[in-house]
Amino acid sequence: MKNKSLLRIRDIILPLVFLLLLISGCASSTQVVLLPDPDGKVGTLEVSNVKGTQTLNQAWQATVSASMDRIPSEPKLLEEEKVRQVFREALEAEPIPPVSFIIYFRTDRSVLSTESLTLLTKVMDAILSRKSTDIIISGHTDAVGAIDYNHRLSLRRAKAVADILISKGIDRQNIQVTYHGKGNPLVPTPDGRPEPRNRRVEITVR
Amino acid sequence: METENTSLILFEPKLEFMKFSLIPICLVFILVIGMAEANEPRAGFVKNVSGQAFIERNKVVTAAKVKDMLRENDILVTGNTGSMGVILQDNSVMSIGSNTRLVISKFAFEPANEKLSFIAQIKKGTVVYLTGLIAKLNHSGVRFETPAATCGIRGTHFAIKVEDPGN
Repeated sequence: MKNKSLLRIRDIILPLVFLLLLISGCASSTQVVLLPDPDGKVGTLEVSNVKGTQTLNQAWQATVSASMDRIPSEPKLLEEEKVRQVFREALEAEPIPPVSFIIYFRTDRSVLSTESLTLLTKVMDAILSRKSTDIIISGHTDAVGAIDYNHRLSLRRAKAVADILISKGIDRQNIQVTYHGKGNPLVPTPDGRPEPRNRRVEITVR
Repeated sequence: METENTSLILFEPKLEFMKFSLIPICLVFILVIGMAEANEPRAGFVKNVSGQAFIERNKVVTAAKVKDMLRENDILVTGNTGSMGVILQDNSVMSIGSNTRLVISKFAFEPANEKLSFIAQIKKGTVVYLTGLIAKLNHSGVRFETPAATCGIRGTHFAIKVEDPGN
C-alpha cells in the first residue's frame, strides 16, 4: 500500500516539474541588442549568464539568453529597422541624456565674460530641447582667500548665472542653486594657490 | 521599551554590563539605519510619460507623472499602450515600452562613499538604457536581471526585451 501511493505521487510530480521547467525555460527568453551611443560611437556589450559570456561589438548586434543551462547565443546582426520597430515605444520615450556646462570667472569676479554669455545661449538650447525642469547650478572658487568669503563669492557666481537664465524666461522653480566655496575643485590645489579652472560655475541640465 | 533599557545600560559604568549591552546597542543602530533607509534617497525622476504608465511603491500603484521622484524598490509598470522615460541620479537614462514591469531593486549613487550600484529586474517587456556615472566609476556597478537567465549586461547603450513568462 505504502509503495503504491509513493509511486503515484512520483508519477504526478516528475512530469509536473519537467513541465514547469519547460515553461519557465522557454517562455521568458531575454534578447539584448547593442545600440550605438548618442554620439555615434559603438561600445562593446557583454551579456552573461551562469553558463558564460557573449561579447557584442557592432551596432544592432543581438544575443539571446534563453535559459540557465545555455550560454547566451552567438551574436547575430539584426536590421536596424527591425530593432527600431521592436523597441519603438522605448526608443521614442528615451530622454535626451543630461548635459553639463562650465563657465569660468576671473579672480574675485562674479561677472560673466562675453564668451560666457555666448555659452549661455547653448545652455538655453539644452534646456529648451529637453523641456528641462531640473537645472542644477553650482558655484565654486579657487583656494585663494578666506573660507567665508569664498562661500559668498561662489554663491554670487552661481546666482549671476541663475539670474541670466531666469531673465531669459526659465522658471525659477526649475533651478537649484548650490555653492561650494573652494570645495569640490576641478583641479585640487594647496591652499592659497590661484587656479583659473576652479573659479567656475557648473550647470547641469537634466 | 527596549531602547529605554539600552540607554540605561549605556550610562551604566560597569564594564561587564557594557559588554552585554553591545548587542542591544547594535540592534538599535540597525533599527535606526533601517529607518533611515525607509526614507530612501532619490534614485531619479520621471522625465516623460505616455498612456498607461504607473509607479508601484510598497504595493500601492499610482499613475506616473512627469517630475515624479523615483526611489529604490520602486516598480515601473506600463499597460498595453504605455511608455515612460526616466533620468537616474547618475545621469543615466532609461525608458520602457508597453507591457513592461521593471523593479529598481538597488540604486546607490554616493561617489564620496564609493557606493555606486544600480540593479534592475526586468520581469517582462522592453527597456532601453544609456549608462551614466555609476557604470563609468564602477565597471561592474550596473546589472540587469531577467527571469530566464540572470544576465549581467555591461555596455553603454543597449536595448533589452524580456518575453512575458505569462504568455
